[in-house]
Amino acid sequence: MPIIVNLDVMMAKRKMSLNELSEKVELTLSNLSILKTGKAKAIRFSTLEAICKALNCQPADILEYIEESTN
Amino acid sequence: MSRTNNFAFKVLSIVAWIIFVGLCIDAGGLIVNFIFSFSKPEMVKNLYQKLDLSEMYNRSRWAFYSMYSFILVISVLKAYLFYIVIRLISKLDLSKPFNSFVSEQITQISYFTLSIGLLSYIARETTKNLQHRGYEIDQLNQFWVDSQAFILMAAVVYVIATIFKKGLEIQNENDLTV
Repeated sequence: MPIIVNLDVMMAKRKMSLNELSEKVELTLSNLSILKTGKAKAIRFSTLEAICKALNCQPADILEYIEESTN
Repeated sequence: MSRTNNFAFKVLSIVAWIIFVGLCIDAGGLIVNFIFSFSKPEMVKNLYQKLDLSEMYNRSRWAFYSMYSFILVISVLKAYLFYIVIRLISKLDLSKPFNSFVSEQITQISYFTLSIGLLSYIARETTKNLQHRGYEIDQLNQFWVDSQAFILMAAVVYVIATIFKKGLEIQNENDLTV
């Protein structure tokens, strides 16, 4: 998928565990895991807002666009 | 889900089981008769459901066996169709109905219903042809009187299956939306 979620990178920078983040954003561990492993098909703005607030970052810090190669 | 819906599903399940058992008995009786007709031709006079195809048997074995094959295949398909319905009802979880198993079962129901409808229609046209050639076919009409109804049902179920597949896609996407 062209959109990469760098949640684990930001979590490592802020020294936050998945459990802590899950409590702060009020999202279940399984949903966070779906997001972290890149399996998510979509993210709500409310979720993105909550994550950015919890990790004190911008959406661009978490989401990255990488063009797919045509090979 | 409401109590009324659950009760309706339970009644539907019981009715489906009753019909399935009846269709299995019909199919079983027809299969046994078919097997025995090879070794004991005198049985052709008194087949399952008081069917007397002795005149057709004596006139043309090919006509007898082809007509009987139609009857047999249609009755087996009907029994299998209700087996799929029972399997669907027994495994359907009304709190989460949109899954690939249910979608597949509904699609299969539409395919089998269409097969039954088309086979019944072909059999009906074949018996009309035989009637023009002087065969007595009145007793056979009972087996394919509902061919058009099956074709109509197949079309409706196919539409439902298509809508269900779309619902499944939407649910899967919703499940992966955080």
